Amino acid sequence: MSDKPDNNFNGPGDFIDLLERSGYSWPSAIQGLTTIDKASVLQGTTVLAFHFKDGVIVAGDRRATAGSAIMYERCDKVIPIDDYSLMAIAGVPATAFEMARILSHNFEYYRRSQLQPLSTEGKIRALSKLLKDNIGLAMQGVGAVSPIFVTYDTKEAKPYIYFYDLLGAQFEIQTHTATGSGSPVIRGILEYENLWGSKTLAERNLKGAAQLAIRLLQTAAQFDSATGQARPEDKIYPIIASITEKGYRFMPEDELAALFLESTKRK
Amino acid sequence: MFDEPFRWMEAISTRHSYVQAKLKKGQPVLAVPYQGGALMMGFTAQPGKIFELYDRIALGSLGHPADVERLRMTLLDMAHLEGFNRSEKDVTIARLLQFGIAPAIKQNFEEVMRAPYLVKLLFAEIDFDNQAAFFRLNYDGHSEMFKKGAVISGNDKESEWIQKQIEQTDFASLSLEKALIEACHLWEEGKKQGAPESEDDEDPPVGLAEAFDQWTLEAAVLSTETERKALYRRVTPDEIESLKTAAK
Repeated sequence: MSDKPDNNFNGPGDFIDLLERSGYSWPSAIQGLTTIDKASVLQGTTVLAFHFKDGVIVAGDRRATAGSAIMYERCDKVIPIDDYSLMAIAGVPATAFEMARILSHNFEYYRRSQLQPLSTEGKIRALSKLLKDNIGLAMQGVGAVSPIFVTYDTKEAKPYIYFYDLLGAQFEIQTHTATGSGSPVIRGILEYENLWGSKTLAERNLKGAAQLAIRLLQTAAQFDSATGQARPEDKIYPIIASITEKGYRFMPEDELAALFLESTKRK
Repeated sequence: MFDEPFRWMEAISTRHSYVQAKLKKGQPVLAVPYQGGALMMGFTAQPGKIFELYDRIALGSLGHPADVERLRMTLLDMAHLEGFNRSEKDVTIARLLQFGIAPAIKQNFEEVMRAPYLVKLLFAEIDFDNQAAFFRLNYDGHSEMFKKGAVISGNDKESEWIQKQIEQTDFASLSLEKALIEACHLWEEGKKQGAPESEDDEDPPVGLAEAFDQWTLEAAVLSTETERKALYRRVTPDEIESLKTAAK
């Protein structure tokens, strides 16, 4: 509680500034380390997002791998950032979770301190900045993250999907996107469904969109060992979330179990 | 000047009088439990009395806006750093007060050559078992905890009366609508109870109808019914409109 106003920061309401002033710093590239045994780093995923009738659906499998080893089957790869934003992560979980925690605190800190929510552009830029600060670790192969960021702009009453590359470049997605090791398997299907399916993706209701997401993730898991199949007997299902004008909503397990059963039966 | 203990005590006493006189017209803010969480409300001529502090913590205030703002920002910084570095579950009002700002405010108050904080703060919290707790922080760093609700006001007579009524009312069993109506009635009656006996040199107490007409009702809840991580939400204009009719 200094008497002097603190002008030594970029702007009011910036949590990352506050963190840095408290001694936190994003790790830079590790000196002397030029290569890494990537097999020892947790990664491998399929996450996807597409526009549907009421907003955006975001989905992800649950498997975390290190090389060919399956490390964990209940990984939550779709993370709430604030009431109207979700981040789907592909890449190294340690870095991705840290980014999500920073973003979440950053958005909430801004909203509470400035008494207004951060703009959609500001949110999108905040993730880009984190990825840019992570270039050192990304290039060394120990901290690469390729996220999808989804947010609902309450002023415009419009949802947005952004895809990011490892270096922080952001791309607004009009229809659908997917990232992670299993994504090449399903990107073609998404495009096909959008162009020649019974309805375009944007015309589908929540149930139809969630069904497609479940089927896509099962398909990705069929071809990509780093993408986990659902295991209903162990109550392991993909994460299915939606963002609409009411904010984000994660599909609860009982609803998901019923929908999974229905979605994986041949018509 | 302060080498004699009496001088220092006199200075502190003068300081109390000074701050109390400055806060005298501070309008009450009430925080009470209700069926679905905790409610905080107060009428104000200038909006800026009730704020969201963290996922499960609301802040009410009265006093000089610049001092309120400085303390609010300090609390926000502390809460968010703690929540980030440790966990959301480690962010509690008790810790923020006891190990955070209460000692600093006390020190500030007793350093008589520095300007004191002209504030009173009120806090509501819902813990992870969905139990509500309420705290009050005085301008001299003294803090208190309440289970059934709490009030701050610039007028001690007014706040003592309202506090007594809060203790005697079963707010926790009321719906949000009924808790708001009851809080509004306590606010109005508290203004009457706190009014000076001679009305020669003071304005008459403000009634509820006048308050609705001329001031802004700020009200917010920490709702245990939400699925969101952050429980705080403002009471909506629609809810306030229906309250206006019901509270009359």
